[in-house]
Amino acid sequence: MRVIKLSKENLFPFLEVISEKTGLWAPVRKPNSGHVFKEIDDFAQIDLDYTRTILPPKKIFLPPSFNMFKASKNNYEEDFSHVSPKILFGIHPCDIHGLLIMDRFYSYVFDDPYYSKARDNTLILGHSCWPDENCLCKSTNTHIVEEGYDLFFTDLKDSYLVWIGSSKGDDLIRVKAELFDENIAEKDIQNFIQWREERDEAFQTEINFSAMPDLMELKYNDTLWEKLGDACLACGSCTNVCPTCNCYNVHDKPALGEDSSQIVRCWDACTLENYSEVAGGENFRKKRSDRLKLWYTHKLQAYISKYGKPSCVGCGRCIATCPVDINVKTVAHTLDGDKVDSFWNRFHEEVRK
Amino acid sequence: MNQEKLKIGIYELTGCAGDALLILDCEKELIDIFNAVDIQSFLMAKSDNIEGELDVALVEGSVTTEKEIEELKDIRKRAKLVVALGLCATVGGIQARFGDREEWEENYKKVYGDIDMTHTRPVQSKPIDEYIEVDYYLPGCPIEKEQFLNFFTRFLKGNPPEKSQNPVCVTCKYNENDCLLKKGVLCLGPVTSDGCGSICINHNLPCIGCWGPLDVANRTAEFYLLQEKGYDVEEIKKKMANFSGTKIAEFFKKVGKEKR
Ligand code: SF4
Ligand code: SF4
Ligand code: SF4
Ligand code: SF4
Repeated sequence: MRVIKLSKENLFPFLEVISEKTGLWAPVRKPNSGHVFKEIDDFAQIDLDYTRTILPPKKIFLPPSFNMFKASKNNYEEDFSHVSPKILFGIHPCDIHGLLIMDRFYSYVFDDPYYSKARDNTLILGHSCWPDENCLCKSTNTHIVEEGYDLFFTDLKDSYLVWIGSSKGDDLIRVKAELFDENIAEKDIQNFIQWREERDEAFQTEINFSAMPDLMELKYNDTLWEKLGDACLACGSCTNVCPTCNCYNVHDKPALGEDSSQIVRCWDACTLENYSEVAGGENFRKKRSDRLKLWYTHKLQAYISKYGKPSCVGCGRCIATCPVDINVKTVAHTLDGDKVDSFWNRFHEEVRK
Repeated sequence: MNQEKLKIGIYELTGCAGDALLILDCEKELIDIFNAVDIQSFLMAKSDNIEGELDVALVEGSVTTEKEIEELKDIRKRAKLVVALGLCATVGGIQARFGDREEWEENYKKVYGDIDMTHTRPVQSKPIDEYIEVDYYLPGCPIEKEQFLNFFTRFLKGNPPEKSQNPVCVTCKYNENDCLLKKGVLCLGPVTSDGCGSICINHNLPCIGCWGPLDVANRTAEFYLLQEKGYDVEEIKKKMANFSGTKIAEFFKKVGKEKR
């Protein structure tokens, strides 16, 4: 790992040369809406002043819905059209950690070529950020990155400190090395230390993740789950927006007038009604409360027990998204004994009780 | 060869004919459709219609007259399988909102007075499954090309798709829209059947529920959430009723009477 410096006016010239032959993806603001990662054709669209995109970058590696292959009686044609060389610029530490968790899922027993080919073809250029009231990454210890990026840009107002995290990242720098400054002055280091301290103090939300596996176990039959199930709209949004949710469904799309079929793969969500339905019509998690229990077991317990860290990377998307305030913050705080202000709590108190 | 083709009939009861029109609007695929099956009856498309035995009847529209009840029962007798095509056939349509008999009679009197109908007598609008057994449902107002072609093709190949149990929110998130409901807009996405491609929200308009009520939706939570967001009870009920036909009449009887 090596750190160099880039003055702010040199950022776009740098992006311009490296994206000559490679698609550049970066955060842009959607009209009347939030931020999204999008392929850039005009640098003026890039908006680095964002906290979180609506969907995490998993959509670039496995789009919400795509053709896996075309099958006919005697033929089989794989479709990797979502795979192309890409540079993903402006991704925050939580999302880099999200991808590292995805890497584990999709290579755990078998390698998933649809994921890994897209992953291998994408350079990760991270960017520092500033927490809002929903950011939890300090609690999940994903506010800093030690791996998982090719370059990482820390914004120190007038210039960037640029971490080189891989040999591919180093190659990128060499494309236009004259834009960078190898000499980091004492003042730059001081600025970085100050930035880090201030950033760490800016977090407004804390979760005691290390207590969660025990509390999940102890409160497995708590009335909390019924309260959550009562208010949950089963919309699947929390699951679709979570950078570490990875379930999918596969269905056939036969072609009219020819003997072939597209095999389509799309995101699935365990919070939806028919996720746990099996052949014969049996459904093992017909109750919303059971489905939420599964989701939170995944985020707060199972992964911690296995890998020593939660499968929540603290991005805050479930908080920003769930219409009835069921999210990792209100659930973890309730498990920890706090009384939280949320629609699901009020719904229980005022309507259901 | 011709004998092996499935015999199909496409019928329209009371509706806007949008679903039948949509089938004709599949211009690129129309020749393939007509080649793949034997279309026996399709009033909007041709005049030499034969009313005999059918493998599949696709029925659009809700039942609003005594004559239509007879027609529908006759179709059921002749067809091995019946598919409800579009919102009106599936739930009764906008013309069936609230599903309250008294209210219907009152409205009817207001519009028509005491005249005696000679051709056929009107009845309160109902979905087709109030009178006959329905094998498959294709919701939508109108149905959508991709959905119809996928259903049609899978059906032909002996593997008809299940009705989606997802709400509009799923596709809304696929399309990376910020949630309007979270921002306080009256969006019915969570209680509405998926399939339209979340087209309204993609244009920054809330879902008004035109694909009809989702069977498994948590309507009670949506109802109280909208109240908390500041909407008036009557307004919420009206919006929820618009495209729900008779299917959520039970919900309307109970809602608002929960213990507070
Ligand atoms: S659980 Fe919520 S905060 Fe954690 S990674 Fe998923 S969406 Fe982000
Ligand atoms: S917890 Fe919230 S976001 Fe998730 S399915 Fe339920 S209502 Fe939707
Ligand atoms: S905007 Fe409407 S359809 Fe989209 S996620 Fe929110 S509630 Fe669902
Ligand atoms: S009203 Fe709802 S169901 Fe109808 S097209 Fe719009 S988003 Fe889709």
